[in-house]
Amino acid sequence: MTSSGRVISLVAWREIRERLRSPAFLWSTVIMLVIVGGSSALPQVLETKTTYHVAVLAPAPRGLENALQRTTEPFGANVRLQVVGSAATGREQLAAKEVDALLLLREDRIVFRADVDPQLAAAADTAVGALRGHLPPAPELTTTTLERTGSETSEDAEALVAMLGAALLLGSLAVYGQWVLAGVVEEKSNRVVELILSTVQPRDLLVGKVIGIGLLGLTQLALIVGLAASLLAAGVYDAPTSLGRSVALVVPWFALGYALYAVAYAAAGALAAQQQDANSAGQPVTYTLLAAFFVGYAALTANADSAIAHLLTVFPLTAPLVLPARSALVGVPLWEHALALVLVLGSIYLIVRLASGVYAQGLLHAGSRLPIRAAWRLRQES
Amino acid sequence: MPTETSRIQELAERDSARQEDHISPTEAQSDNGDGLTLRGVSKRFGSVRALADLSFSVGRGRMLGFLGPNGAGKTTAMRAVFGLVEVDSGEVLWRGKPVRLEERLRFGYMPEERGLYPRMRVREQLEYFGRLHGLDAHAARAAARRWLERLGLAERGEAKLEELSHGNQQRAQLAAALVHAPELLVLDEPFAGLDPIAVRVLAEVLRGEAARGAAVVFSSHQLELVEDICEEVVIIDHGRVVATGDVDELRRSSRRRRLTLELEGAPTGWLPTVAGVELCERGTRNLLLLADHDVDPEEILTEAQRVGRVVTFAYGPPSLAELFLELIT
Repeated sequence: MTSSGRVISLVAWREIRERLRSPAFLWSTVIMLVIVGGSSALPQVLETKTTYHVAVLAPAPRGLENALQRTTEPFGANVRLQVVGSAATGREQLAAKEVDALLLLREDRIVFRADVDPQLAAAADTAVGALRGHLPPAPELTTTTLERTGSETSEDAEALVAMLGAALLLGSLAVYGQWVLAGVVEEKSNRVVELILSTVQPRDLLVGKVIGIGLLGLTQLALIVGLAASLLAAGVYDAPTSLGRSVALVVPWFALGYALYAVAYAAAGALAAQQQDANSAGQPVTYTLLAAFFVGYAALTANADSAIAHLLTVFPLTAPLVLPARSALVGVPLWEHALALVLVLGSIYLIVRLASGVYAQGLLHAGSRLPIRAAWRLRQES
Repeated sequence: MPTETSRIQELAERDSARQEDHISPTEAQSDNGDGLTLRGVSKRFGSVRALADLSFSVGRGRMLGFLGPNGAGKTTAMRAVFGLVEVDSGEVLWRGKPVRLEERLRFGYMPEERGLYPRMRVREQLEYFGRLHGLDAHAARAAARRWLERLGLAERGEAKLEELSHGNQQRAQLAAALVHAPELLVLDEPFAGLDPIAVRVLAEVLRGEAARGAAVVFSSHQLELVEDICEEVVIIDHGRVVATGDVDELRRSSRRRRLTLELEGAPTGWLPTVAGVELCERGTRNLLLLADHDVDPEEILTEAQRVGRVVTFAYGPPSLAELFLELIT
């Protein structure tokens, strides 16, 4: 290992060891895992009894509602019949989400909006069969849908995954970026940095610190996202299992986004004079991060396939937040993945080069807070 | 009567001969190829000139006291050795070659503003600094344990630094500078704030390091202590060397002499009338006088004997503290 590599790994390992001892890290991991795990059980806990609204053409056969009530009872559901004058009215109500299904007895058909609800379909089949004197479970009703099968649940789930993924990324980048900021300010304010920099290159200290805290963040995020992706793949959520892949994209893009923003946080921390200045020193980076999130969110909500959405997918400051979200919503072609990756890696290289000079000047500057222009000028002079 | 007239005469003659050997700052700026050399180092901070063509050297196995009033540039010079200050001109050399990161791995530093990780365990902290200086894990562990024992911190090794008393934190800081057995040890005010016992321990440690072969440089305002433990000193003011060399030789090279006189039966307020003599301090029976180097001490002794009984008469070069005041004020 080169001298630089050795120093970086020593600095990174110290960060990991010291922070693993912090109860805050362990508790935050446990709490996040409990939240993700608990979210799979939440729908069942909250929705104790489903009420199906079923439209039926007038005149409705006597006893149909009771028969449906009996057959849905084992699923823990209720049924409310809605008698409509025509099939067209029924379809309108179904499209407007006023009812969950339209029962067309003359055609022996039950129509759903986008996805067939197998529970309701089976219950209706049994109820109609019983009413007609047939013995269940002989299939009588055919099922159809108004829209393309699978589109509705899928779109909802994609939007949810995109939004939660981006929010998780934003939160993680901000939290771990702040850890880097606080660590840098602490080293500067208690002057240990003077001792370290007498033997260590500022860039190695910066990279080691960012890698150490980043590995912790990545581990925590991988645990949380891994659990969510596994639950999704196992079909625990009401969402297509293929979305697990989009969820998993959050992890590598956290690593890339973190490298970009954490280095900026470290440089900002080096400019702060003391612990109290840490937050205000980090504000420009936090605001950039928030702006990247909201611009990306607005663009994807308006039209995930627009030109601006494509641009934000590859723009280095927004790519870490936008790319996984857009991938979940509409998919991202391989070339855009590759372009975004190249641009972000290039930006990381540039920011490490630029920030390490500011970082070194900032760390060794005692007294008042050092303005970034002054740090830059000192860097140029040295 | 315990006078030492013949001895005094001999000293006076030797002193006047040494005036010829007076060590001027420029003459003493020879490189020390074996150790640390600062050659013509200058540094400005805006309009403030912190170092002005500063040159001095210290060899391996030697202990150098680095002296100067507050703001003289001592800390800036020490930081320059570690690359913490980018000098405007001049060179910092170790064994005749410019100091790079590779050389600094073999240096130990105790900065003026002490600082270690407050929430990190002391033993782990020492191991960490040992490893940053290139020791492997095993050697760092052994060295950390050895220094904790040597400095009386063996039982506090697993405590966090912030849980230690101020004095013990100072010891931990010293251990962090020493853990990798440095070839050059630079300490900025290492004795500041220490109790007499800790001062003695630290002095022994520094002597031991020099005996091991390390070049030791430290700054201090405790000049009696420096006089006691250092062979050589550099005195700087306004970033410039005003005197450098062997402590005893520098004292002898002074143009002033210290004269202590204990007199019985002399009239109150008596002072010798010899030209070039001034009162430095008057006790109940003692007089501390400073005389120009060419004043004949026998004249003063004769005058004193006329007015009372001379119990003690001592004549010699000024102390380091007196020399310092003479040079700086």
